[in-house]
Amino acid sequence: MAKWQQRLRTLLTEQFSLPSDIILEMPRITVIGNIHIYIENHQGLAVYSENELKLKTNNGYVQIRGTSFVLKMMLPKEILLEGTISEVKFLGN
Amino acid sequence: MKHLNSKAVTGYVTILVKGTAPEMFFQKCANAGISVWDVKKRDTDLCEGNIKLSDIKQMKHIRRKTIYKITFTGKNGYPFLIRRFLKKKPLVLGLFFSVLLFFFLSNIIWEVKISGVPKDIEEKIDKQLVSYGIHPGAWLFSLDPPTAIQQKLMKDVPELLWAGVDQKGTTFYLEGVEKVVVEEADPKQPRNLVAAKKGVITNLYVSKGTSHVQVNDYVEPGDLLVSGILKGQVVEDEENESEERQEQAKELVAAEAEITANTWYEVSVTVPLEFNYEEITGNQKKKYYLKTGEFQLPIWGFGEPDYKEIHRESNGNNLRFFKWELPIEIVETILSEKTYNKVSRTKEEAIEAGIDQAIIQLQNELGAEATILSEKVLHESIEHGKVNLTLFVSVEENIVRVEPLNQGD
Repeated sequence: MAKWQQRLRTLLTEQFSLPSDIILEMPRITVIGNIHIYIENHQGLAVYSENELKLKTNNGYVQIRGTSFVLKMMLPKEILLEGTISEVKFLGN
Repeated sequence: MKHLNSKAVTGYVTILVKGTAPEMFFQKCANAGISVWDVKKRDTDLCEGNIKLSDIKQMKHIRRKTIYKITFTGKNGYPFLIRRFLKKKPLVLGLFFSVLLFFFLSNIIWEVKISGVPKDIEEKIDKQLVSYGIHPGAWLFSLDPPTAIQQKLMKDVPELLWAGVDQKGTTFYLEGVEKVVVEEADPKQPRNLVAAKKGVITNLYVSKGTSHVQVNDYVEPGDLLVSGILKGQVVEDEENESEERQEQAKELVAAEAEITANTWYEVSVTVPLEFNYEEITGNQKKKYYLKTGEFQLPIWGFGEPDYKEIHRESNGNNLRFFKWELPIEIVETILSEKTYNKVSRTKEEAIEAGIDQAIIQLQNELGAEATILSEKVLHESIEHGKVNLTLFVSVEENIVRVEPLNQGD
């Protein structure tokens, strides 16, 4: 069932060119250089420390590593992270 | 960072969360709709973040369901600044008094500047102004409006031709123009004197010119009274001189004479038999209000006086702060007791009053020099409670009118 839904959604984005982050419920990540990272549509915080931020998403985790992390803004589904970012990693379930 | 400014206005606190995975507490807050910012991990079990002052209650509610320990580490924004400031009583008191002092100082006259008149009149004006209560140190709102002061000043200082009173902030500017008595230009232009009105001449005094009328002569308007043409005496004995010569010998002067004549007027007046008038008894009470817009706050003089009829007179003066006029007015209301009087009179009384009225009216029209000799009622009738009178008035007055002589060149 879920797989069938996933396929339909992919079809919708491809055929009607609808924005993929909305239809697929995937996080939209905006990175400004290596100092800011803005993550929308995440499912919640998993790990946060000075050097690491791990966010739950619809199909796994997003892991961001770096140094001197500060969460500049926290809203229900958005996070703005400030610091020196060295890597952004997508982890499966 | 627009949102940060608004947060500074409403105030925000920094909280320190202690417990395992303290960042999860902030996630819970964010999920509940509390905006959280500047979250920093201090240690593995310590996390610091900012929340709005208005969200504290909700945050405490969330905390109750968890095992985290929360301490407030920082208070920021204007609400805290103001509270800190208000705690310093002498400072607040000082500020309050200084504002009050400025307020008072902005409402008194600092300077009266008189310009445009010589020193002696300036002193006189100054003295008058002091008697009206306009001097440095007087309250601004207790003064009459500039136009009223202007009129009073013109009346009390006869040397002034014109006075301009202007109030700019705390300074009174007074500009005066002195009356300069200018000698009337000598009317050396040759002229005749003619009658302005019809009448019978009663008095005749000619100082220059040839008189053409005598006492008891009847004159019509435009009749020549005194001619400005004098017959030349030099050439009178030479009778065989040509006409032309004689013409040249005539001398033209400006005729001067004082001629009074008995003139008459028909005046009709209407006098009502019954009439009402209001009279102020002299009892009065003053009330003071602070007025902003339509709202009036009584500050002095409470309660209505027990007068039957009240005549109200209100004067408003704006309060000021520095150079600005505040939208607050001090209104002085004078309540004066008045009585309505209803008077009815008989026909004879009405006629008498009508005659008096007609004489005063005529005297005003003719000026003070005319004397009213006699009056006679020609016709009287009563209609709708009014007496209509037609009067015949005889007057003795100056009837001279100047008419320039055309030299014909």
